[in-house]
Amino acid sequence: MNEILSVNNVSKRYGNVNALNSISLQINKGEIYGILGPNGSGKTTTLGIILGVLNPDRGSYSWNGNTPTKYDRKKIGSLLETPNFYPYLSARQNLSIACKVKEVSEGDVDRVLSKLDLLNRADSKFKTFSLGMKQRLAIASALLGNPETLVLDEPTNGLDPQGIAEIRNVILDLANEGKTIIMASHILDEVEKICSHVAILKLGNLLTYGPIESVLNNQEQVVVASENLVLLERTLSQIDGVSRIQKNGDKLSLILASGKDSTYLNKALFEKGIVASEISIRKTDLESNFLELIK
Amino acid sequence: MLNLLKIEYEKIITYSTFWVIFGLFFFFTPLVFYGLGQIKLDSFPIDFTTIYHFPDIWNNITYVASWFNLLIGMLLVILVCNEFSFKTFRQHVIDGQSKSDFILSKILLSSSFSFLTTFYLFLIVGFLGFVSGNDGSFLTDIKYLLIYFVQSLGYMSLGLIIAVTIRSSALAIIIFTFSIFFESILSYFVPDAIAPFLPLEIISNLTPVPTPKGIQVPVLAEAIPLNTSLMIAVIYILAFWGISFLILNYKDVK
Ligand SMILES: Nc1ncnc2c1ncn2[C@@H]1O[C@H](COP(=O)(O)OP(=O)(O)O)[C@@H](O)[C@H]1O
Ligand SMILES: [Mg+2]
Repeated sequence: MNEILSVNNVSKRYGNVNALNSISLQINKGEIYGILGPNGSGKTTTLGIILGVLNPDRGSYSWNGNTPTKYDRKKIGSLLETPNFYPYLSARQNLSIACKVKEVSEGDVDRVLSKLDLLNRADSKFKTFSLGMKQRLAIASALLGNPETLVLDEPTNGLDPQGIAEIRNVILDLANEGKTIIMASHILDEVEKICSHVAILKLGNLLTYGPIESVLNNQEQVVVASENLVLLERTLSQIDGVSRIQKNGDKLSLILASGKDSTYLNKALFEKGIVASEISIRKTDLESNFLELIK
Repeated sequence: MLNLLKIEYEKIITYSTFWVIFGLFFFFTPLVFYGLGQIKLDSFPIDFTTIYHFPDIWNNITYVASWFNLLIGMLLVILVCNEFSFKTFRQHVIDGQSKSDFILSKILLSSSFSFLTTFYLFLIVGFLGFVSGNDGSFLTDIKYLLIYFVQSLGYMSLGLIIAVTIRSSALAIIIFTFSIFFESILSYFVPDAIAPFLPLEIISNLTPVPTPKGIQVPVLAEAIPLNTSLMIAVIYILAFWGISFLILNYKDVK
């Protein structure tokens, strides 16, 4: 069985905030799955549910095809939202407690500390750490026991640019070792650089998901203009393979299904009696695709 | 289970509040108890040193130590609330503990605290009792130690339920401290037949005020026999533990 995580129609409300609206996801072994969305879109809520701290109102999830238990969580390395440690204990003491909770060997503490470059501060109290060091300690803790699956919620939160680059490298190393990583982020660039797959959330709705190229890359925006925009819009909407028609000043923009090009569009319009005064293709970058998606 | 208790002690072994509160208990319990035996009242010719004598010493010392039981209960409230304010409870769940593991850890911790304080009283009694000579057998009335153990667990089980409900240390400590006061107000509003069975009434009366030798005090007619109190207290403790679990289970892990 290749499937690591399956989420089925999970919903969660807080009062009248619809934090998650019937979300379904399948994540397979070896995938680096980005959960991308602006702040408040439900990323932490999703991860909180699969990590057993939030009860979904509806729906279910499973790890490795089984009903989830605490033993699954012991084998997953997780960072959810904030680094949570005892402020009066040292980094090493905190990790030693985490090892006991996860029931993994404490021999691993020094390995993860050195991996996150914290070995020289191992015996300092957690409360003396900077924000970035706290975040690195949380990631170190997630690596205890060398788990096959990692769940990381905004792992580069609070880090300086150098720290961000380091963490990305740590995650890429893990990916190269064949681990499965589920990572939430609101930073497109980060997901693009690290992830193989992406799911895009907005206001608790799953907008789209799949391999990252197909979700974010494969779309070219076509800009069309003609004398009568209303007629143009109506006609365009009848053409096969045209989607997301939008008014853009005195022009319309749209997305063509893959395999169709501007010649196809021009011909189709002409057949319907419309002469386009302009058909141009705008190469969209990831950023605008993403912004387009979450509009 | 041993693993859970080990984790609990790893959390507190360098925590200063733990040492301060146990320090206060270890220091003041024998001091106050010894001090009471040294009281001399000119107008009232009682020999207070008899409080060190067997078998009364068991009742006397557990009564004195019970004043400090609230302190240990407060420590438990602080430790449990810390798990919420540091979000370490959340982290433990994420790392693979269940909510029942959490409650079980706190029950084990409470029991170990009760064991420590009870054993300490045993040592004091052993020391004070023997140096002052005794006129009874050592083991008579040693049951007060068991009763003391249950009382101490009782205060901590109340602390646990308050801590998992309130979650913020400051408020939880205030509510815990005033809970005896709250209950005595409450007891005016419940029927007289029920009032003596309220949880704190039962728990605090486990260590009854000793009656000094040579003084006649009227025995309260309706006093509940100690054995019955003990049984009811154990039931309350089990109920508090169970309800704490239900409260924790019902809420999302914050
Ligand atoms: N404990 C809570 N109580 C009320 N609303 C909450 C709570 N946690 C999250 N929310 C709301 O749920 C939505 C999703 O939040 P969250 O999952 O944290 O988003 P993200 O991690 O993507 O920034 C937001 O609108 C947020 O305000
Ligand atoms: Mg979040």
